[in-house]
Amino acid sequence: MQKFKSIEIKKEEIVPIAEKMKSEGIRLLMIHGYVDKEGKKVISYQYEVGDTVEAYTVKGEDVLPTISHIYDVAASWPEEELHELIGVTFEGLKMRGRLFLPDTMFEGKGQILVTPLSELVKKTQGEKE
Amino acid sequence: MSYVVPIGPYHPSLEEPIHAKLYTEGEIIKDAEVFIGYNHRGIEKLAQEKNFIQTLVLVERVCGICSHSHPFAYAQAIENIANIEVPKRGQYIRVIMAELERLHSHYLWLGIAAHLVGYDSLFMHIWNVREKIMDILEAISGNRVNYGMIIIGGSRRDISDDLRRDILQVLDEFKAEHEKIKEILLNDKTLSMRTKGVGVLPKDVAIQMGTIGPHARASGVKVDVRKDAPYSSYEDFEFDVPVVEDGDVFARVVIRALEVDESIKIIKQALENLPEGPVNLGMKIPKVPAGEFTQRVEAPRGQVIYYVVTDGGQTNYRLSIHVPTFKTAPTVPYMLRNNSVADAGLIIASIDPCFSCLDR
Repeated sequence: MQKFKSIEIKKEEIVPIAEKMKSEGIRLLMIHGYVDKEGKKVISYQYEVGDTVEAYTVKGEDVLPTISHIYDVAASWPEEELHELIGVTFEGLKMRGRLFLPDTMFEGKGQILVTPLSELVKKTQGEKE
Repeated sequence: MSYVVPIGPYHPSLEEPIHAKLYTEGEIIKDAEVFIGYNHRGIEKLAQEKNFIQTLVLVERVCGICSHSHPFAYAQAIENIANIEVPKRGQYIRVIMAELERLHSHYLWLGIAAHLVGYDSLFMHIWNVREKIMDILEAISGNRVNYGMIIIGGSRRDISDDLRRDILQVLDEFKAEHEKIKEILLNDKTLSMRTKGVGVLPKDVAIQMGTIGPHARASGVKVDVRKDAPYSSYEDFEFDVPVVEDGDVFARVVIRALEVDESIKIIKQALENLPEGPVNLGMKIPKVPAGEFTQRVEAPRGQVIYYVVTDGGQTNYRLSIHVPTFKTAPTVPYMLRNNSVADAGLIIASIDPCFSCLDR
């Protein structure tokens, strides 16, 4: 049976936790994100600690430090994705351009998950015309 | 002379679209970049509009090859949030389907690998033998892909005693054929000359990049969720996690050939010890409280990760899906460096990519 443990942290703790995990040989499982009902961005740094996923969660921040210098592409790909999905900026992250949608769709700003589906459809159809 | 050679997004050596830029000096690749997004369908966004039963149908369509692994992971995430315990027989049938999926997926890739090195007679032989597994999947579920075997709280269909005996017999035939194919894969000179020392990913780099699945195990990294964090009764079965140290394309062939043996072992144990009792808890839409859970499943290509957030309503508040290719594709630029342009297609394919999964 797999287990899940969620711990809320401050943005200043992100890098020290990542460094500690890395030094202990613990894998970064994934960085997930979403926008909660109060409109706050929630970023969840999830590590594989045996049969438990430990999720370190930061709420309400628009700018976060990158951990790609610690976890390499295992961190940079999810960070790029989150920038595109909910518009969080990761300081120090080297961006390669958009992952999923054309640059023109949101004038270069990522907002896929927080834009209503009907508006996304309009934008896509607008591009076709 | 320096060139930038584009591969894809649409290219004969790619089964699905991806774009790679190769920075070359003559024939040799000095650096590379990979760009994704050509299969993005907005499945995570769509899942926010769907209830838990509809989402099972949706996520099964993230990928055509590992279409059991996706609802398998999603259902377990929901079951964990809702504290639903799946009957033991249902858990075993889920495992049987997952391992059959691994067999057909590994055979699909081994066939493609043979094709890409120009060994088409082996490619056709492998795919011919693979049909035995496809027939079993069809006999159990009624479908060759998108099996529809997972529901919240169990498996949709049972396996009768007659079918169980038939499957065991076909598995024996498959095993006999696999021994012959494995002999060719491990010892054939043509295959080894074309794949040994090509697209190497050393162990320390594989660990640093956090890669997973057979791709990591072919680079000496022993990581497998079925052993590291067992789910759905995997702890009941005896099997090994093979590891190969070389980290080249040949090692990726070998690791899959060895993993087929382990999957056959698991399926046989599950069929021979199938517990009595129901396979599910009924077909109703479950009441799911507010919560969150991350479920990991060892799909044929590596970990499938489903992070689900619920708010007590009938739909997913957030569904975040990450697939093995999300963790193997970032290693491609490293593996391409100092190889020839002629091997680029083979090296990209050697991660057993699924770009539909990756893009969602």
